[in-house]
Amino acid sequence: MTETVQLFVTCLIDSFFPHIGEAMVRVLNRAGARVEFPSRQTCCGQPAFNAGLRGEARPLAEHTIEVFERTSGEIIIPSGSCAAMVRHGYRELFRDEPEWLKRAEGLAERTFEFTEYLVDRRQRTDLGARWAGKLCYHPSCHLMRGLGVDRQPRALLEAVREAEIVPLPEREDCCGFGGVFSVEHPELSGEFLKRKIGNFESTGSPTLVVADTGCLIHLQGGLKRRGMNQRVVHIAEVLDSR
Amino acid sequence: MKTSDFRRGARDSLRDENLQAALDNNAQRRKDGRLAAIATLPDFEERRRRAHAVKAEVVAHLDEYLEQFIERASANGIQIHRAADAGEAISLFLEIAQAEMAGRRGTGATPLVAKSKSMLSEEIDFNHALETAGMRVVETDLGEYIIQLRGERPSHIITPAVHLRRADVGKLFAEKLNLPYTEDIPTLTNAARKALREVFLEADIGVSGVNFGVAETGTLCIVTNEGNGRMCTTLPPVHVALMGIERLVPSLDDLALFLSLLPRSATGQKLSVYTNLINGPLPEAEGSTRAQVRHLILVDNGRRLLRNSPLAESLYCIRCGACLNACPVFRETGGHAYGSIYPGPIGSVISCALVDREYDSLAQASSLCGACREACPVDIDLPGMLLRVRAGLIPPMTASAGGKDGRRKEGAGLPVLVKLGLKGFRLAAANSGLFGGLQRLGGLVSRIASPRGEYMHLPRWTGWGYSKEFPRLALHPFRDHWKMVRQEVVETGNPVNRSTGEVEPARSQASGDVSLAARFTEELIALGGKVTPTREEDLPGRLRELLKSRGITRALVDDAGAGYLDGITAVREPDPSVRAGVTGALAGIAESGSLVLVSGRGGTLTASLLPEIHIAVLKVSAIVPSLEEAMKRSEIRTAAAGVIVSGPSRTADIEMTLTIGVHGPGELHVFLVDDAGTD
Repeated sequence: MTETVQLFVTCLIDSFFPHIGEAMVRVLNRAGARVEFPSRQTCCGQPAFNAGLRGEARPLAEHTIEVFERTSGEIIIPSGSCAAMVRHGYRELFRDEPEWLKRAEGLAERTFEFTEYLVDRRQRTDLGARWAGKLCYHPSCHLMRGLGVDRQPRALLEAVREAEIVPLPEREDCCGFGGVFSVEHPELSGEFLKRKIGNFESTGSPTLVVADTGCLIHLQGGLKRRGMNQRVVHIAEVLDSR
Repeated sequence: MKTSDFRRGARDSLRDENLQAALDNNAQRRKDGRLAAIATLPDFEERRRRAHAVKAEVVAHLDEYLEQFIERASANGIQIHRAADAGEAISLFLEIAQAEMAGRRGTGATPLVAKSKSMLSEEIDFNHALETAGMRVVETDLGEYIIQLRGERPSHIITPAVHLRRADVGKLFAEKLNLPYTEDIPTLTNAARKALREVFLEADIGVSGVNFGVAETGTLCIVTNEGNGRMCTTLPPVHVALMGIERLVPSLDDLALFLSLLPRSATGQKLSVYTNLINGPLPEAEGSTRAQVRHLILVDNGRRLLRNSPLAESLYCIRCGACLNACPVFRETGGHAYGSIYPGPIGSVISCALVDREYDSLAQASSLCGACREACPVDIDLPGMLLRVRAGLIPPMTASAGGKDGRRKEGAGLPVLVKLGLKGFRLAAANSGLFGGLQRLGGLVSRIASPRGEYMHLPRWTGWGYSKEFPRLALHPFRDHWKMVRQEVVETGNPVNRSTGEVEPARSQASGDVSLAARFTEELIALGGKVTPTREEDLPGRLRELLKSRGITRALVDDAGAGYLDGITAVREPDPSVRAGVTGALAGIAESGSLVLVSGRGGTLTASLLPEIHIAVLKVSAIVPSLEEAMKRSEIRTAAAGVIVSGPSRTADIEMTLTIGVHGPGELHVFLVDDAGTD
């Protein structure tokens, strides 16, 4: 059964990696979903919210609610942290304002992270993807702990043909991105990154899969700085590969 | 405390290789220990949720529970005092000390205070205040003793000397205790034991914290591993306990629930070695040479304000330290970088309310990864609390804590450039047309800045450029691509079986067919205790045999122990030169290999504490399956004090290395008397 979903592509994919957005549309199509893209969307407001600047986060949250309220169907977000922002963060942001809170909850109920949507809502793990070689998965903190989504991306990767999934040691450790944390505490962020890259390197996998673009930029940036050839890819790219 | 102070502290920590090795060691061992201990509780998640609900109830109705607790504890003979803030708590203690000391020592003598670990005492800067008042205060927990000798403050709420390695302690003891330099941890531990033993025996006042107060019974529960907590609450003629007003649980049942969570989360133990349950002062002959006096100082110091703030959930904390051990920031920085005596995730929430408002900037020291919440045995939403502190949703300070006004300040500690950047981003992102234009402009600029590579090099001062490259923006954002996307909706693949991919919850090991005595024996042996099954008529002979084999001819006894001695001299006064103690036991707990001992039976508490060897006689019929069952014994409520003993006294305060035999007995023998007639 075909259904129509709303793509909230996130400001990072929109600005840096449009090809991930396109891959995601193709994967959603294959799972039987027609995708709509409300063009007035920008950012969910998470960076300011997490930094404590709720006054700056609010207009963006209101904007996002207004944009997506005019649409129908599930809202799909290819990022654990942005999905957690809409599902949990908005409730916190508007907790003292019953009217906005109600609208925020209406949006939260329709919002799903990409892999969560595919596995839990569309009941799909095998989407015909093929990826020759090793793959290693890093569970992003807000996806795994904030949304409790971990078995879904793993099940999706397990179903990829020809892929050998290798476990990442200390997989649950944070990569050190953490939004403004990555610029505010460069030394600490750098230590987390060093540890994560070391663990990844030890697996011998050329490819690290993530489901959150913040972690992707951080990890890929770390690999580039070290002159390493391994790649970090978004799970949508893997699921789109043939 | 400015963010820059934390950053400087963090940088110092990162450069300190010794500290880094110590912290890595701590993180790994504590994590493994906690996970292994939690695996023994099949219903851990359910207990965690229940614990959260119990604490929510207590904090919501704090005054009612406090009133009930105070009424019961007073009726039990504990003298209750209430302090609104740190200053009042100190004054109250000094008044108590003055009154209790009057006429006890010659005028001019320096009062000696033996102190067991208490984070509340650190919060109110207790030691410093007492020393200023002319008292001698000695920390008796091994870790606390070490840092007191170094003139430092704790770097962790459970393992205060976690930042040190054995060589640091070796050097310290060589210098301060005139010990030949050694890195042998048992030798170092023994040196501290010797030095502190005199303190316990001579102390005028014993001071302790309180882990839990039980409202329905007025019981104080204090858990320790080394035995110093037992010493401080048993031997000195006066015991003063310090307790935060939120540290309450409604009932003994609830206490059992929290005791199943606290040691597992803190140190990876099923139960701490000594779980002290104190109802009232000990009568003569139980502890010191005269009837004991007990005081309790209940301290608010900002807790009521915290309760009425958006951070109320942080009062559910039971100070287990699991969030520190799980935190990747703490793993890099250790506790001292935070400045506050409450470090780590929970410290970054409560320090601004309980210690100093300036600590509100500590909330920035987190990547919000949520490992803290996952580790919290009370399921406190620590990332959520950190976000609220960042948003300035913190309580106003009490006057004495040196706070400024309660004005809401968003983003405390955020660098100005970050603030400006986020404000600029908001202005751009509030309008999708402007946002798209800026995205395209950014794409063009970053293409010029880095014509070849997809990632650009940013200078170190940007923060990002310190350790990683930054991606170029796309020339055309996704919103431009979208117009060209052709969709072809075809359903691929088969719907998954709902059951595949589901992660099965861990099953507990079946243990239903193992008898209680066998389980008790197995657990106690795992803790380093010895168990000898025996018939009652053989007991005196076997006891004599054991003691004689050690060259021991005299033993401290309680009433039960006295009845079993044959050919061994019974000693009833607490004599520190006697090497063995023989006691009965009220009950045994199979699931944790623990003994339940209570006062009122002729000196059980001292005979099981002072000597280096403790021999207990336990009847098989007295073994119960669980802590919950043991708590149902009426003696737990009626005895002046009791203790649940789980193995020989131990510490891991130096490099997380387990050392047996600190202040309490280093050997624990249980003679298991089969009185069930199944022999």
